[in-house]
Parts: sequence; C-alpha cells; structure tokens
Amino acid sequence: MSLDRLMQVPGALAAFHYTDKGDLVAHQVKEGTELTPQVLDLLAHTCVANLAVATLEARGWEALTGQTGFEPLQGFSLVGLDWSAVVNGNYGVVVRNRDADYEAAFAALAEFKA
Amino acid sequence: MRIITQLMQIPGVIAAGEYAYRGDRYSYEGNISSEQARMASILCRANTLSMNMQVELFSSFAPEDCGCKPLQGWIVRGRDMSVCVVGNIFCFCQNTPGLLNDVMTIMRAKVGDIEENPLVYMYAKIGGDVHEKLY
Repeated sequence: MSLDRLMQVPGALAAFHYTDKGDLVAHQVKEGTELTPQVLDLLAHTCVANLAVATLEARGWEALTGQTGFEPLQGFSLVGLDWSAVVNGNYGVVVRNRDADYEAAFAALAEFKA
Repeated sequence: MRIITQLMQIPGVIAAGEYAYRGDRYSYEGNISSEQARMASILCRANTLSMNMQVELFSSFAPEDCGCKPLQGWIVRGRDMSVCVVGNIFCFCQNTPGLLNDVMTIMRAKVGDIEENPLVYMYAKIGGDVHEKLY
C-alpha cells in the first residue's frame, strides 16, 4: 500500500503518513494546494491528539451510558472551511469539502490499518 | 424545518442536537436521555472550541490562507456509530452505507459552507445534468 492509494480518494488534496506521536514520515500533495509539509506535520499532531481524546471520550461514554458501538474508533476527521482531514491509524488524507466522500476516505484508511 | 428535525428523519440517525457556544443550553431529539444530551453538548462544545484553537495555530504556519479556518466541524467514526458535529449541531448516526455523507451534506448545507440547494449538491455527486434530473 502506498500514499498513491489515498490520493485516489475523491477530492484528495494530500495524503500523509505519520508516527504514533504525529511526526510526519511521508506525504504527497496535489499540485497547486497551499498545504506545506509543516502544515501537514502539525495537522498530523492535531489528529493524533484528537484521536486520543476521542478514544477517552468514547470509552467514558460507553461506560457511563451503557451505549456501545463507538469503540474501537475507526477514524477521525477535522472539517475545515475548504477541506477536511480524515485520519485513522498512522495515515491521513486531506479531501476538498466540495468533492468529499467521507465514507470512501474512511474505507481507504481502513485498508491501511488492516 | 429545524435542522435537528430534518436530521432525525434520515433512517439511521439516532439523535441530533444543538448546543450553545456559551452557557449550558441545549436542545435535542432522538433516542438518548436528557442527561446524555447534556453530556454530549458539553463534550461537543469542548472539542469544537479546542479544535478551533488548533486550526488557528497550524494555519499560521501556512504561507497563505491554507483553507482550513474557520473550523466547520469534526467527525468521530466509531465501530458501529459516528458522531458528526458542524457548527453548534451534533448528530449521532449509525455507520450505515451512505449515511455519513448524507448527514454531513445536510449539516454543511444548514450551518456550513454549502450555499446552493443541498439536493443539487447531492445529485452533482452522481454526475450528468443535475438540473435535468432534478427539475
């Protein structure tokens, strides 16, 4: 599997691979976008942090309410003004909101995790 | 029609609600208790504000406007359920195929960045002459 697979997700502007801590390992960016490696690195850190927080919240929510179906988490997405970052595991893809297919993005990321 | 009511009409949506950015007011519909809706409102507000700050921070590293701010919302994808938040609206939905995209389209149309008719937007994904298909 490579980042090329993630770049095939509808509306993909960038694909990136990061460590467990959120450090950027590799990335691909579609020509003409304003996404720099530095932005992607910080974005990866943000997503790692938010996935950790979401795991805490999901676990707490399930314990408090008795509702199930949240854990284990299958991913997280940050929806910005023009684009969304969709991440799971150690991979992420940035998709243009106008063309975003969130389910396709989560499905593509699940392939990397499998 | 209220966006919460509109969301609740989609099969697979479990609950939807609206929270205040300030204070503890909220309203909701769906299959959760009032206490759960209160907790969900607090959780969603806290996460949204935190992410707003994060987006402000990393966008300052972009050479120009990187297209991420202001934050519109976020999604947490669980094993069988997802939580979607756009603006001050939250929605708990099942991971039924196609549902997440529909929920996000409606939420972004109501409180996000989709300015045209959401039906036109949704049909545009299929391709072809949207106007002919719809009208």
